[in-house]
Amino acid sequence: MDQLTRSDMNSTDRTAAPSTNVGFALRRLFRTSEALRGYILLSPTLLTMIIGLAMPLLVLFTLSFWIQEYLDFIRTFSLKNYFDFFHKPIYGKILFKSIRISGLVTLATVLLAYPMAYFIAFRIQRNKLVWLILITVPFWTSYLLRVFAWKIMLGYNGVINSGLKSLGFITEPLAFLLYNPTAVVITLAHAWAAFAILPIYVSLEKIDRSLLEAARDLGENAFMSFVRVTLPLSMPGVIAASLLVFIPTVGDYVTPSLVGGPSGIMIGNIIQSMFGKALNWPLGAAISVMSMLTVTAMICLFLWGTHSFRRRIA
Amino acid sequence: MKKEDVVEQLATGKMNRRQFNQHLMALGATMAIVPMGSRQVFAASGDHPTVFTWEGWEVPELHQPYIAKHGESPNFAIFGDEEEAFAKMRAGFKVDLTQPCTYKVPIWRDAGILQPIDISRLSTWGDIIPSLKTIPGTVEGDKQYFFPTDWGLTSVLYRADLAPEYVGNETWGILWDPKYKGRLSMADSLIDGVMVAAIYIGAKDPFNMTDAEVEKTRASLKEQLPLMRYYWTSPADIEQALASGELVAASAWNSSYAALKKEGLDVRYTSPKEGAMTWVCGFCLMSDHDPAKLDKIYDYLDAYASVESGVYALTEYGYGHGNVKAFAQVEKDQPGLLNELGYSVNVDETLNAGIFQAPMGNEPALQAMFEEVKAGL
Repeated sequence: MDQLTRSDMNSTDRTAAPSTNVGFALRRLFRTSEALRGYILLSPTLLTMIIGLAMPLLVLFTLSFWIQEYLDFIRTFSLKNYFDFFHKPIYGKILFKSIRISGLVTLATVLLAYPMAYFIAFRIQRNKLVWLILITVPFWTSYLLRVFAWKIMLGYNGVINSGLKSLGFITEPLAFLLYNPTAVVITLAHAWAAFAILPIYVSLEKIDRSLLEAARDLGENAFMSFVRVTLPLSMPGVIAASLLVFIPTVGDYVTPSLVGGPSGIMIGNIIQSMFGKALNWPLGAAISVMSMLTVTAMICLFLWGTHSFRRRIA
Repeated sequence: MKKEDVVEQLATGKMNRRQFNQHLMALGATMAIVPMGSRQVFAASGDHPTVFTWEGWEVPELHQPYIAKHGESPNFAIFGDEEEAFAKMRAGFKVDLTQPCTYKVPIWRDAGILQPIDISRLSTWGDIIPSLKTIPGTVEGDKQYFFPTDWGLTSVLYRADLAPEYVGNETWGILWDPKYKGRLSMADSLIDGVMVAAIYIGAKDPFNMTDAEVEKTRASLKEQLPLMRYYWTSPADIEQALASGELVAASAWNSSYAALKKEGLDVRYTSPKEGAMTWVCGFCLMSDHDPAKLDKIYDYLDAYASVESGVYALTEYGYGHGNVKAFAQVEKDQPGLLNELGYSVNVDETLNAGIFQAPMGNEPALQAMFEEVKAGL
């Protein structure tokens, strides 16, 4: 073994001196450059991100400047799809409605999640993990199944209607429970609850309890110490929760198509139809790009708003 | 080296690093090879064609002769609608046979994914209802791109006990009746939804409307929108809702009528005075089919078009069948059932009463119009 290695080395030394130099240089670069080492360590993730995220985005962006003609794309640069987006009122209107629905969903989710997270962080002393797992139990079933469950809850002969009917409050089933934007908000708020509870819980858990004691010692009542200490310190969790709920729900199309009815459709349904029934991929791509840009703008606005809010109460 | 030896050596620490690595490598190589082996096994039993079809049309009862001959069913892939199927196949999904409806055949042919069917290899071709063989868009000269096997109606299905005034006075107008606001539904589709509105407003040729007719259709859809409970996407949506009384009337296919009738509900499904629509679905041979499987492909087509499959489709689903002999068989076995399902014993009579669904002129514009109406514009 030893002999073999030595002769091997000899042969490389004699015949392939330049390549050894390159190899040597590379090794030295690897040793000295921290950035290179970092990128190599990152490379599996980085490659996945480039192939799975950056490339598709680039494809989508390129596609949005083409034009669909029957079955083919006309591959010359054109702004026609963007012109259509601004010219026809439907896309802007639906996008605005999607943002309004998602905003309501985010608000409802965070408002409902905060007390739950607070309870686990401050009131539960033992077996916190069990409580956290219990909260995620409903989310072990498929997303689609949970949407269908709401369909059964809110339906014409659903749990709520038959319950109210048997109690004698109503004689005819309430039709307004399902197939409208409210049903979409209810369903989405439930479906995304876990994504709000966990980040809020983490930020509440991190709060130094002595700060709360200090607030009480200095004469603040329970409510005011919550407003002036707990709430500002848990804002990172609230912001994370809001973003985690808002961003994916804007583009959701399964929930609106199942419980939304004619008035509850969202931008995801339009995009899906462009890539399917309407067979206009470039316009679908342009709507996707516009919806991404709008969501980005909304988030920047939101972050700026919360930032100034935190500065004011701090 | 025996298995016990390995374990013992490991436990006592006698195995050196090189030996351990050798074992690990052997294990890794074995693991990597295992799926290949089983893949070959699958291929051996799976040299059947792949059929891309609607849910419910892949049941063994609809191709028994194929199973009798080859021992098992072919491979199936299921689509929700033809647009989904089309998108998948254009993205590279390889299948041998698909089962679209007539109005999609021309666009699929234009996309270059279809190949003519060799009708001389079909033993059932002579039994197929003649008027189904020549539907425009499915034949080009002597090239037959479509093998018609299923047909049925798109008509109005309503609860006669909840809307008794429409009994004997059937009309699409029930779907525009403000009296039943919030208890009506129509298919979320161009062909089964928007075309209904086109027929309702009296368009001369609903599938090639003039601009004025399109605008009239839009107006009638807008008028209808507030009356809709929802636009349905799956027959199950309306079947449950009609059974519970949530809906009074909906546009529907035969299968929904057959299902509700079986539950003993007082539902009606007859020809509205403006005319019901007749749809025809069947098989297309894909241009990238596996030539080695051609015999089995034609065996499957014959099995699907057999009389026994037709009897099952008629009695279980209430759908019409391409094989004319299936109707005679059902009439012989269960007299009166055909009439109950909405078919005449003379099949052509039923076919001629309806409006044949055809490819729609300017489909993208109609789709855009429908989206706008649904968005409340």
